[in-house]
Amino acid sequence: MFSDNGDSAVLQREPRFDDITCSLRSVNKLPGAVFKETQQVVAMARRFNDEVVKPQALELERLKREDPEYLAWDMVEEANRRGFYSMFIPKLFGGHGMNMPALSYMLEEIGSGCTAISNLVGVHYLGIATLCGSWNTRLMNKIMRDVVEGEKTGKPCLVSLAITEPGAGTDTEEVDLVSRAKVTCHAEKVPGGYRVNGRKIFISNGHLSTWHMTIAYGDLDNPAGTTVMLAVKTGMDGFSFGRQEHKMGQKACPASELIFEDCFVPDELVCFDAEQAARYSRSMEKITMQVLDYVLSASRAGVGAFGTGVARGAYEEALRFAQETEVEGKLLINHEWAQCVLAEMYKNVALARLSYIETNYANGMYGLFKVLHFKPIFYLMKYMPQSLVDKFLEPFLEYDFVTWIFRKIYFDWQKDEEYERTSGWASLSKFSATDAGVRNCELALELMGGAGVRNDQVAEKHLRDSKLLQIYEGTNQLNRLNVFKCMIGRSAPAAKVFED
Amino acid sequence: MKCGIDPELAMFEQTVIDFASNELLESRQENDRFPCVPLFSEVLTKARAVGFFSVTMPEELEGSGMGTTELCLLLESLCRVDASLAAVVFTDTLAKEIVYRARGFLLLEEIPGRVSEYGGALLAFPSQSDPGDCAGIVAEPAGEGKYSLTGKADYVVLGGIAGNAVLPVRTGDAYSFFLVDLAGKGITVSEPVQSLGLHACPAVDITLDGAPATLVGDEGEGATYLELAAGRMNAAAAAMLVGVMKGSFEEAVAYAKEREQGGRQIVNWSEVRRMLARMAVKVKAADMVVSELCRSAEDNMPGWEMGARVAVLFAGEASTDVTRDGIQVLGGNGYMEDYGQEKRFRDAAQMRSLLGLAPIRELKLMERYLAGEPLF
Repeated sequence: MFSDNGDSAVLQREPRFDDITCSLRSVNKLPGAVFKETQQVVAMARRFNDEVVKPQALELERLKREDPEYLAWDMVEEANRRGFYSMFIPKLFGGHGMNMPALSYMLEEIGSGCTAISNLVGVHYLGIATLCGSWNTRLMNKIMRDVVEGEKTGKPCLVSLAITEPGAGTDTEEVDLVSRAKVTCHAEKVPGGYRVNGRKIFISNGHLSTWHMTIAYGDLDNPAGTTVMLAVKTGMDGFSFGRQEHKMGQKACPASELIFEDCFVPDELVCFDAEQAARYSRSMEKITMQVLDYVLSASRAGVGAFGTGVARGAYEEALRFAQETEVEGKLLINHEWAQCVLAEMYKNVALARLSYIETNYANGMYGLFKVLHFKPIFYLMKYMPQSLVDKFLEPFLEYDFVTWIFRKIYFDWQKDEEYERTSGWASLSKFSATDAGVRNCELALELMGGAGVRNDQVAEKHLRDSKLLQIYEGTNQLNRLNVFKCMIGRSAPAAKVFED
Repeated sequence: MKCGIDPELAMFEQTVIDFASNELLESRQENDRFPCVPLFSEVLTKARAVGFFSVTMPEELEGSGMGTTELCLLLESLCRVDASLAAVVFTDTLAKEIVYRARGFLLLEEIPGRVSEYGGALLAFPSQSDPGDCAGIVAEPAGEGKYSLTGKADYVVLGGIAGNAVLPVRTGDAYSFFLVDLAGKGITVSEPVQSLGLHACPAVDITLDGAPATLVGDEGEGATYLELAAGRMNAAAAAMLVGVMKGSFEEAVAYAKEREQGGRQIVNWSEVRRMLARMAVKVKAADMVVSELCRSAEDNMPGWEMGARVAVLFAGEASTDVTRDGIQVLGGNGYMEDYGQEKRFRDAAQMRSLLGLAPIRELKLMERYLAGEPLF
């Protein structure tokens, strides 16, 4: 009765069994210590919310309104002092080595108090993820240890991702689109490195970051085949900051313009380019998309967490208001219609959270941090003293063959269905959770009425903060197309994506 | 909103459109930074000079004697560019309509000036809440028809710039309206309250400590006067939302025709085009509703006030979707203050709570219908 008589074939039908059981499969594979670590991280984040975020969120906004050039260095320094910027850096690279999925829980927690402050932490890990997506272990070690050093010295060392350009936003996140995009950030190969000219815009945390993982193009007529990832450091000749954008919300997290004017980036700071990609079996375009997918599969779960956080923040403000306010002669919380609204908001939070959790299970088995979740490696890194890691393991990171091994694992040996799974789930979480976030904010304002439009009641800030979540990290429309590409269209032979 | 074949209405609409383009468009982003920058006083002075204040009051009360249609045209056309000035006009008109309906003609004649020329002409009002929910102020008779007010009035729109305010106060089981001289004794006005939208239509919290006040109309008749003003003012609120939606839609289409991604104009991506189509459906439907409503109002058709209640609820919901998508079509640029879309999103969200919570207004609509007030 229970023998395998063609079960594989039926299980491969849509929806594919492996796609819908990431959490179930993780039950036995996930190291047990992940639970305890996540508990610790959430407790830390809640204390941070109580002590710092909630007391200061509105004040940070006020400072930014009065001075559009204001930068929240105090907040960044406080997060740095608490170890947030190295918390999720693997011990192999000098960090605290907390499991990556716990970051999403942390971002939700902080985001329930202020999405902007959550971005000040989360966007740094977008930069880290981009660096890791290149699997250039020497540079990964160099830059992540800079971050750790910044924690020790009290001088924060943040990492940003610089990809968006004035003429190319959505285009830059899909190889099929970038091939037709109007990109202008040119990386010209010169002796000893690259010379970069162009501008990047809307770069989150730009002005606050030390390292900028910059995506540029060797041939502007063939960007998909000549993508270059460069590590550009603040202060390098030819690199400067331009304007800060005047955003509707998320004001404490700057959206920066980065300007490259004959900026020379030496070979030792080239994370990834066509020359390096030539050693692997897939095409440059395919590998570029893999790199993007590894990064976005991790980062979009983070944006799902931002969405969950703002959905929760709006729900909590609405719940508080309903318990304190009389409408038509009785407490709002005792109006049946209000109870239904609050239940709807609660549902939105719960389902948004489940979406990023499931995405992280997928990433843990098939994505960016799958190696770290392999139980022997997880426990080795967890219990090996840092001094021994630094003495016996770190030196290997300098060797090309270590980079080669990681790239073999992550580029050549990743199956199509694996990156479809992680990429598809990440996009699904991103657009679902952020739509839920905006929806909850709108419901909160509906429930709070005139009080809801006051800045000092917080809900209106959540609404302004939430809208950007539907736009960055790929608009929700692009993310829907990615779900189609990864999870639906693959089973429809006639389907074509980005060819409307 | 259709002006039909009435040339006077068409001329009036064009006058307002020209005013909005000349006086509001260029400084819209800067004006919205209030209170971090000065209020757009010059614009308010000009608005008064061209007769935008007191538009529905008779000429003997320094008004233009306009009806519901003209009021809706004015507000819609202003909102297409910048809703803040429209919100000033709306609040002032609402307060004056209530006083007028209470037959407080002498009060309207005697409104003293204060602070500035335009301020003296304006009446403040807590337009973001249902007057029936007022509970923060106590009124004590002070002899000779005068009263003394003590308590707190939150979010009084225009309270920081107007000469006087009309405030609802609970008196017994009902509520009454009182006219308060904001320069009088016992009045403390807060700094402008930072709000979601409509920044250049500022509001303050007012603390009253034995502040002298004049009863507007009869005691306990506040609900009656609000009811008499409600039809026109609900139509006006709906028209404002239509204006914001039109502005959002037009800017989204213009951008989609210019911006290229994936090698073509984004208006040629079917999902973007469908988003614009859904915006168009909602804007046009709301526009037709307000046009029809104005026609019913001018003809004084029975039950037109219920139509006004429906119109503002419908336009409110539609405006949330339209302005949200209005940002989305512009992508990252839509989120930035340099473009008009994020302001429209905020302004529309703020306007949804004019005169109280939308869900409560929905419940009251059904209460009226169940009590026999016809809907069709």
